[in-house]
Amino acid sequence: MSGTALVVDDSVVNRRVLVRHLEGLGLATLEAEHGAQALDLLHAAPDRFDLVLLDVEMPELDGYETLAAMKADAAIRHLPVIMVSGVEELDSVVRCIELGATDYLTKPITPRILEARVNASLAAKHLHDLEVAHLERLQALTSTIERQKTELSRFLSPQVATLISSDDGEELLAGHRRLITVVFCDLRGFTSFAEGADPEELLGVLGEYHRLLGEAIIEHGGTLEHFAGDGVMVFFNDPVLQDDHVARAVRMAVAIRERFAPLAAGWRKRGYELGFGAGIATGYATLGRIGFEGRHDYGAIGNVVIMASRLSSKAEANQILLSQRAHAMVEDLVEVEPVGELTLKGMSRPVPASNVVSAS
Amino acid sequence: MVLDVSVLEELADAVGGDRPFVVDLVETFIADGEQQLTEIATALAAGDAAAVVRPAHTLKSSSATVGAPALAAAARAIELAGRAGNLEAVAGDAEMRVLRETWDDATRELRAWVAGETA
Repeated sequence: MSGTALVVDDSVVNRRVLVRHLEGLGLATLEAEHGAQALDLLHAAPDRFDLVLLDVEMPELDGYETLAAMKADAAIRHLPVIMVSGVEELDSVVRCIELGATDYLTKPITPRILEARVNASLAAKHLHDLEVAHLERLQALTSTIERQKTELSRFLSPQVATLISSDDGEELLAGHRRLITVVFCDLRGFTSFAEGADPEELLGVLGEYHRLLGEAIIEHGGTLEHFAGDGVMVFFNDPVLQDDHVARAVRMAVAIRERFAPLAAGWRKRGYELGFGAGIATGYATLGRIGFEGRHDYGAIGNVVIMASRLSSKAEANQILLSQRAHAMVEDLVEVEPVGELTLKGMSRPVPASNVVSAS
Repeated sequence: MVLDVSVLEELADAVGGDRPFVVDLVETFIADGEQQLTEIATALAAGDAAAVVRPAHTLKSSSATVGAPALAAAARAIELAGRAGNLEAVAGDAEMRVLRETWDDATRELRAWVAGETA
């Protein structure tokens, strides 16, 4: 047996008997003459002790009061306490056990009973220590995960960051098919602007534009797939399901267009002619982890992505081109003007599309 | 009973027959008890009931451990009187005299037991 016991008894004779027995069991011991001294020792070094043997009847702070003070203190309340009493004090012992004492011994001390009770108390203490250590590891792990989640949400769309640590995350990441609405947007005139502008100016303009995009994406609950210079791809209805995914996409694009106007006016004064254009399409895509070991993105693959990208390329400044299928799903909510059938790169047949004028 | 030798024998057995430990313990008891007796007398002289309780209590529990039941009972009577704030009975000398007598009896027999052990 190993560990350190605190022996609390006002009688030096009784302390010496207990200490002698405990040392015989292999325990280290410390002594206190009364409850207040015991509490001082326990407070000074709570981790030093594994067990307290507490005389029930002591002048000044008695065993019951000392035990009550221990139980009220989170740092020492877990320590096992064995009450030591005379046979005539069993009523007090019962009160102490109700208060949380682990066990009791009656004087005169019988070594074998002492050994059994001390053993049981130390085993309980050991278990408690393991539990605490385990809990601490768990807390450290949880805070690491929370920190990672926060960091991830800076690099990834918040929905994807959440998805990664969710219960069905692995399944969704492995790949799934889903009906989504994809929004592509980029800037007309960006290429020539980028050629002529200072790098600082370029980053400044991009920063303003990205901030505008970021706010709108978050407001409408879009999943940002990627940024690439002036181009950005956002999709809806994945990983979080959204019944109104087309409406969200259209409203987001309209909001960006509206907020873009004052930005563009400011840039125009500085000599930059930049216009906003977007393409929106709805269709089935395969979504999940895309990439290679060491660098994966959460992405969408499918015709719907290509369609939205091509529509965006085709859009003129201030146009939001909507695919026919997407339009059909939000007819009541949006006002559009037809732009006829568009011939899009890589598409074998011309594609009917319309420009969003407004959305409610 | 002034001295219950069986208590000391049981104690010796309980510490694996380490009789010198028990002898040492008895000597500690006598030295410590003298001090408690003095404290009790001082407290009584000062009429301080509360100050009587602690030494009387300690003397009571120590004497039970070394097998001096009569002394334990006498000390307990004083402890109770002190707790009750009833010092007249004690100061009236009856209980204090009993305590001194039982103390003298107990320590005389304990010393004799020690002498037997160390002879």
